[in-house]
Amino acid sequence: MAQVGGGDVAKMAVLFERHHRALFRYFVSMNRNRELSEDLVQDVFLRMLRYRASYDTRQSFTAWMYQIARNASVDQAQKRRGEVVGIDEFDDRRPEPASGAAGPAEIAEKLQNLALLRRALDRLPEDKREILVLSRFQNMKYEEIASVLGCEVGAVKTRVFRAVRSLEQIYHTLAKEKTA
Amino acid sequence: MTCDEARLLLPDYWSRTLSEANELALETHVATCEQCHAEAEQLGALWKNLALIPASSGDFEPGANLRGRFYDTLNAYRHGLESAPRRSLRDRIFSLWPRQPAWQMGIGFALLVIGVGIGFEIRPANPHPEQATGIELSQLHAEVNSMRQMVAISLLQQQSASERLRGVSYAYRVQPSDTEVLSALLTTVNQDSNVNVRLAAVDALHAFGASPLTRTAIIQSIRKQTTPLVQVALIDLLVDLKETEAAPELKKIAADDQIDAGVRQHAEWALGKLQ
Repeated sequence: MAQVGGGDVAKMAVLFERHHRALFRYFVSMNRNRELSEDLVQDVFLRMLRYRASYDTRQSFTAWMYQIARNASVDQAQKRRGEVVGIDEFDDRRPEPASGAAGPAEIAEKLQNLALLRRALDRLPEDKREILVLSRFQNMKYEEIASVLGCEVGAVKTRVFRAVRSLEQIYHTLAKEKTA
Repeated sequence: MTCDEARLLLPDYWSRTLSEANELALETHVATCEQCHAEAEQLGALWKNLALIPASSGDFEPGANLRGRFYDTLNAYRHGLESAPRRSLRDRIFSLWPRQPAWQMGIGFALLVIGVGIGFEIRPANPHPEQATGIELSQLHAEVNSMRQMVAISLLQQQSASERLRGVSYAYRVQPSDTEVLSALLTTVNQDSNVNVRLAAVDALHAFGASPLTRTAIIQSIRKQTTPLVQVALIDLLVDLKETEAAPELKKIAADDQIDAGVRQHAEWALGKLQ
């Protein structure tokens, strides 16, 4: 990013190849809309080009990128305020079979559990979902998440614990509904 | 180790960032406490499975056209940069003018002070210098106060945390009777997303401590806080202000299991100081 900031904008292609999948995963986990998420990824890279001069090389690039991603997401949400978000957009899709040595029944059960977990994640309030997406899907360190969210590392850990506990409660409610 | 302390270590345990000593202490506690054992097992399994969600489905992979769109945009951007005409000297000078309203206001304020200073220096002689100087000075004080109030409130509403911190430092320069700045500070203490800004705002409230409104708001704010650090700072402020009205709330906090153990201890200490 330092080279992009110095004027070599072609280097943004390297950053795109390195980070666009993770960014897409972040957006799609938050808004459950593939088309919108692709637009947002595009928007983030364009914003990074525009604001390249404001990047501080002492700062973590990932944290800076996710700060931009959050701003892009907020701006988009303001534009779309009032529209209904397709919460069940993915629910109808069947997950693709995972590879591995387990038998078909075991794989099917595991995939069912993961689908249920994803539904539970979708029902989690946005702030709790975001902290789990950043830590589990994006594999970000707690220090980096603190920098993105503008809070202390200790607060991030507390929020992670609360989010996992809330997720577990929703997951169990859904599992009970399913077996009832 | 208490159950609450064990729970707070779980996120580090899951992400394998726990120190060896803490890991041992946590595992010892979990092995002996049935409730924590069950909770750690359930939540740990959930934590592991969470990471499998993206790989379990193609939904988390972007479409093939995203790459094409990005490269089209990048090429267009590069082409735009290369074909843009060089900026004239006039444009470059104008580009120095900051875009952020807070900076614009700050520069405007500085120019106003310089202008008043120059005017004061070159003013004609006055037959009643003492009286005229007194009026001018009081007018100048009122204008300066009004500008400081505007700058403080404007900075406190900025997106950047460092700008909001500057807003808090401006709050020290207004009159303690200024209710608008007080209200902005209380909003910052209760709602700001950045803990450093909240802490700085708590410190700034000290100057407004004479107002009963401030004291009541501080007492009510303790429970609204999610960070023990800010809760401790608010309790310290109540002790500094010798606010005995806070005793009933501090007693409730000291007895509330939901609140951080450190905060509860601090509330007990504060009760001792206030009695």
